[in-house]
Amino acid sequence: MTESKTLTGSALLFEVLKEHGVQHVFGYPGGAIMPIYDALYDSDVKHFLCRHEQGAAFSAVGYARAAGKVGVCFATSGPGATNLITGLADALADSIPIVAITGQVPTSAMGSDAFQEIDIFGLSLACTKHSFQVTDINDLEEVLYQAFEIALEGRHGPVLVDIPKDIQLAAVTQRFDKLSHLKNKVKLPLADISKALELLTHAKQPILYVGGGVGMASAIDEVREFANKTGMPSVSTLKGLGAINPDNDNYLGMLGMHGTKAANIAVQESDLLVVVGARFDDRVTGKLDEFAPHAKVIHFDIDTAEINKRRTADAAILGDLKGNLPLLTMPLAIKAWQQKVQQMKTDFAWRYDHPGDNIYAPALLKTVSDLMPSNTCVTTDVGQHQMWAAQHMSFDDPSNFLTSGGMGTMGFGLPAAIGAQISRPHDTVIVISGDGSIMMNIQELATIKRYQIPVKIVLIDNAKLGMVRQWQDLFFDGRLSETDLSDNPDFVMLSRAFDIKSQKITKKSEVKAAIEEMLDHDGPYFLQVKIDATENVWPLVPPNTANDKMMEGV
Amino acid sequence: MNKYQLVIMADDKQVVLERILQVTRYRGFLINAMNAEVNTGNNVATITMTVSSDRPISLLIDQINKLIDIKDVKVDASPTKIPQCSA
Ligand SMILES: Cc1ncc(C[n+]2csc(CCOP(=O)(O)OP(=O)(O)O)c2C)c(N)n1
Ligand SMILES: [Mg+2]
Repeated sequence: MTESKTLTGSALLFEVLKEHGVQHVFGYPGGAIMPIYDALYDSDVKHFLCRHEQGAAFSAVGYARAAGKVGVCFATSGPGATNLITGLADALADSIPIVAITGQVPTSAMGSDAFQEIDIFGLSLACTKHSFQVTDINDLEEVLYQAFEIALEGRHGPVLVDIPKDIQLAAVTQRFDKLSHLKNKVKLPLADISKALELLTHAKQPILYVGGGVGMASAIDEVREFANKTGMPSVSTLKGLGAINPDNDNYLGMLGMHGTKAANIAVQESDLLVVVGARFDDRVTGKLDEFAPHAKVIHFDIDTAEINKRRTADAAILGDLKGNLPLLTMPLAIKAWQQKVQQMKTDFAWRYDHPGDNIYAPALLKTVSDLMPSNTCVTTDVGQHQMWAAQHMSFDDPSNFLTSGGMGTMGFGLPAAIGAQISRPHDTVIVISGDGSIMMNIQELATIKRYQIPVKIVLIDNAKLGMVRQWQDLFFDGRLSETDLSDNPDFVMLSRAFDIKSQKITKKSEVKAAIEEMLDHDGPYFLQVKIDATENVWPLVPPNTANDKMMEGV
Repeated sequence: MNKYQLVIMADDKQVVLERILQVTRYRGFLINAMNAEVNTGNNVATITMTVSSDRPISLLIDQINKLIDIKDVKVDASPTKIPQCSA
C-alpha cells in the first residue's frame, strides 16, 4: 500500500473512498462531474442513483445516522450542487458527518459565468462545517483525506469538496496515507470536575438532560450507567431519544415544546441539570429566562462554543463524554425526588382512549412501535406526525430514530430511510411521513423501485399541513391560510405506479392487521392512514412561554 | 455596544477571510475596521479586526476558533464602551 502510482483525479477519488471504507454513494450525474462518473464505472463503490440531489444528500445523512459512518453524495455543478444545500444545512444543524463531492466547471472557465457554474464554494460557507475547492491536482488527495477527518473530528458535520472538471481529468501520483493531518484543532480548557462533583453531591432534585451528542460520542453505555448508578431522573431531546433505555423507571421522555408533562415539570423544579451532548435549543427551553430557573448546570460537550452560549454553565466539562462521564458516576441520595418524579410519570402517562371509529395517530404509532421488530430504524418527516412519533414510539438507540431536529426539514423522511436501509440491509426501516412532507421528495419512490429497497412507509394523512394548521387554529384565530391539502393525489395509486404494494386504512378496527401485513411484506410497502384533520399535538408549550405553562388537549 | 479588537492568526487558505466575515456577521457583530496581512514565509495570515456588539465577545471567539483554518484568536484590548448608534 505504500508505493506510489499515477492515475486521474477521478480515479484517485475512488481510491481515497476505498481507503475510508466507503462502499455506498448516493448521487446524480451531470456535465461537470462526468469524469468522476466515468471512473465510477471501474470502481467497486456501489452508487445509488437518486432522483433529485436533495434525495441523495438526505440518503447520505440517513446512511450516516443509521450506521454511524460517513455518508457520501455526488452532484454536478450549478443546479446539482445547489440542490444539495438543504441536505447540507440539515446535516450541519444535526451534526451529521457527510462528505459531498460536487463537480465544477473547468478551472479555466471558473469565474466567467460559464454554463452551470455557480459558486458552490461560496454558498457552502454557511451550510457546511468546512469546504474545499481543489484548484491544484496535487492537493486533491490531501483534501479528500482531510474532508473525512473533519467530518468525524470533534462535533461531526458536513464537508463539501468542489472539484473542477479538469482536476478530475488531470494525472496525479497517489501518495496514500503520508499526508498532513489537521493542525488547528480547538484546544479544550480543563474540565471543572471538582466543581461538578460538588454540585452533584449537593443536589436534591437533579435531572439528566440527554441530547443527540450522546449517540454521536458512542457514550450510550456510559450515560445509561450514569443514569442507573446515580438513579437520576432523565429527560431527552428529540435527537437524544433512544440514548436512555425507555424502560428506565426514572426516565420521563422528551422535554420541550411537545415534551411530556412530567419531563417539563421535573426540569422546571430541578436544582441541577446534568447536560450531556445537548445545547439548550429554543424548542427545548421554551422561554429561556424561565427554563429550569432554580437549577445549576453541569454541561458536558465536545464543542466549546456550546458552553455558555444560551445558558451559563456552573461547571463545564469539555471533551469526550465517554471518558468524562464515568468520573461523575456514583450513587446519590435522591429517593424523595425519584418518588416524586415517578408519581408524575404515572399521573401524566399518555392515554390512548379516543372516541369514535376514526384512527387516532398516537395510538396507531404506539401499535407500530409495539409490533416492529427489535432494532427497527424509524425515520420521520416534519410536522405533527413527527412529534407523535417522538412521543408515542420507543427507541432503544438513537441510531434507530432518525428525524430532522435542528433544521426541521420536510422531505427528510423518505430519502433518509433509503440511506438507512442501504446501510442496514437486515434491519426493518420504517418512514413515518405526512401528506405534506412526503410530496417534497416523492420522486425517491423511483429509487425504492429501482433498487427494490424494502422500506415501509406509514403516511399519516390528515389532508393538511397539520402542524401549521394547528398553529393557525391556536395562535392565528383559526385563519387557515394555505394549509389545506384536501386535493392530495391518490397515494395508493401513486405508490402502485412505482410497483410498491399499498393500502389505505380509515378505521381503528383496520389498524393492527394493516401494520402486521406491512411488516410481514418482503418488499417496500406504502400504508396510507387517514386521520381527522382537526387532531392536535399535545401538550404544547406556546412560543415564548415557560415549559410548565403548557397547553393540553381536552 | 461594546467594542473589541480581535487578533486572528489563520492558515493562508482560500476564503479564510470570507469565513471570518460570514461568522462575524451571522453571530451578530459589526465590523468597524479590519486589516489582513500574510507572512509568505510561513503562510500564516494575521487579521486584526475591530468589532462591536451587545453580545459577549466569547461567543464570537468560540465560533471563529471553530473554523478549521484558524490557529489562534485573541482579544487585544479590554472592551471600551462606545456611544450607542455609532459604527
Ligand atoms: C422544507 C420545509 N418547508 C416548510 C416547513 C414548515 N412546516 C413545518 S411542519 C409543516 C406541515 C407538514 O405537513 P405534513 O407533512 O402533512 O405533516 P403534519 O403536520 O400534517 O403531520 C410545515 C409546512 C418545514 N418544516 N420544512
Ligand atoms: Mg399532513
